[in-house]
Amino acid sequence: MNPPPAPSAATPHPWGRGLWHWLAGWWQLVEFGSQMLVLLLSPSSYRSSQRQIIFREFYTATGPLLPAFTGIASVVSLVIIQIVVATAESYDLSRYALDVLVRTLVLELLPLMVALFVALRYTMPGAETVAGLRAQGKLHDMWRTGRDPARDELLPRVLAGVLAVALLAALGSLLALLLTYLTVYGFTTWGFAAYTRAVGQVFNPAVTLIFAFKALFLSLTVAIVPLAPEQLRRKGTERRRRDNISLLGRVFALILLGEVLSLIGNYY
Amino acid sequence: MSQTPPPDSPPPVAHLETKARLLLLLMVLLVAGAVGYLMYARGAFERTQELVLIADDSEGIVVGMDMTFSGFPIGRVGRIELSPEGNARIIIDVSRRDAHWLRTSSVFTMENGLVGSTRIRAFSGVLTDPPLPDGAERRVLRGDAAAEIPRMVASVRELVSNLSVLTGPEAPLNASLQSLQTAAERLNGPRGALGVLLGNEADIRKITLAVDRTNALLARLDGLVIKADSIAARTDGLVANADAQMFGASGVVPETRATVVQLNGLLADARNSLKKVDAVLVEAQAIGANTREATNDLGALRADVDASLRKVEQLVNEINRKWPFKRDTEIRLP
Repeated sequence: MNPPPAPSAATPHPWGRGLWHWLAGWWQLVEFGSQMLVLLLSPSSYRSSQRQIIFREFYTATGPLLPAFTGIASVVSLVIIQIVVATAESYDLSRYALDVLVRTLVLELLPLMVALFVALRYTMPGAETVAGLRAQGKLHDMWRTGRDPARDELLPRVLAGVLAVALLAALGSLLALLLTYLTVYGFTTWGFAAYTRAVGQVFNPAVTLIFAFKALFLSLTVAIVPLAPEQLRRKGTERRRRDNISLLGRVFALILLGEVLSLIGNYY
Repeated sequence: MSQTPPPDSPPPVAHLETKARLLLLLMVLLVAGAVGYLMYARGAFERTQELVLIADDSEGIVVGMDMTFSGFPIGRVGRIELSPEGNARIIIDVSRRDAHWLRTSSVFTMENGLVGSTRIRAFSGVLTDPPLPDGAERRVLRGDAAAEIPRMVASVRELVSNLSVLTGPEAPLNASLQSLQTAAERLNGPRGALGVLLGNEADIRKITLAVDRTNALLARLDGLVIKADSIAARTDGLVANADAQMFGASGVVPETRATVVQLNGLLADARNSLKKVDAVLVEAQAIGANTREATNDLGALRADVDASLRKVEQLVNEINRKWPFKRDTEIRLP
């Protein structure tokens, strides 16, 4: 990975240096993301010697998160379902409640929640570990011993983050659909055909494609952005905290971009 | 590449690979199940038949929306085309399982509600009609509630303006009500209904006088009726005398009856005389028949005489020819 050129000493104003740092940081992120994508798509990254590390990271990313995520997703879904169903009934618009629930919960809220959950519980703590390894020079040591730190240390975490988002999003969507059905129709099966039809009407080909792209974009965002190297990472606890906040802001910004793009695609 | 984990890595997890594989399998199953469920929900595995609805305008119609029958979805819009005539062709995929609800006499409507999307509905009045064939084309009836609103608002505005004109201070209705109130006050006054109808005292007096004179006239009419009654009683006596003259013991009617009896006897005598005349006529007819028969015999006798004379003449001719003194009758030409 080529480091970006150092800011010129002749830069006259502090705001100019800040803008330079900001641009350099995004450029570095793009470069790192491209590298990770190439590695993700390379068959050599999935050799049998890599599997142990990939399995370990995948399990770390999903296994411990599953119970907490299932509980939180169920509670949040139930609250939103109850609010929407009760509101729709009070306005005598209950026939539109299913449509609203599937659109708001499954298409918009749950992917966002899953992305934030994985970012906060797995990739950002993992990024802290990676930053520590970088600071200790262990990644350089790996270079020197002939190992590829991008493939051996970073790629499994990225892959685990992507798969964790996919698994949790699928699980959350299933839970939300199930809870919606149970709330609207109760413990019966007579409404299954009408419910399936309503869900099918929401998921037309365009919406499904946009949903898949959004999930992929969010998963790559939360998996890659926190692991990106920060060339100008500052020393000291306070500065490190500020770096973490900046990292979180970058993740949020990209998640927001994904949401906005998907909304534009779905509703304009 | 070394397989040993870094020194700060978390403690190893028991059966890590199995657990990871199970989680991967769960993810694959969830994603594949979601894809399969969505395909099923979109009707990918459903056997369908086509129905083409022709509409002037396809506004509000989207691919995938339902067509309902009695509130139940039985088909969904597959695609929308523009026909060469400029109409919208809405191709609906009707599930074969529910296609029997659609008959050749079914009616299809497209409604734009105030809330929510456009709805396509099917109505089948006669379920014994033949089922709708695959690929049938039908015209769709359009009902647009939103389009009715401006028209309705215009009508209501017109109605309100008319009401305002009717109820204004200078409106005819108001003047009519005031006149009615004045009339009601006069009705309750001392002149009563006559005061309302005529309006002045002189006319009321005339009407009263006319009523009094009518009463006097009615009293005189009563006297006349009494006189007529006495005349009728005298007429009754006259009729009784006439009855006695006509139908009494020596009245006209009994004598007439005796005369008729005598006439019946005379008629019986005349009938006997006629019978005798009939017998005379029968005998005369027999005499006539005998005379006709004698005439026929005389004809036959005369024919015989004629035949005998012809024979005698032929005999004489023959003797004349055969006799030596026969004359030469031939004419010889030179």
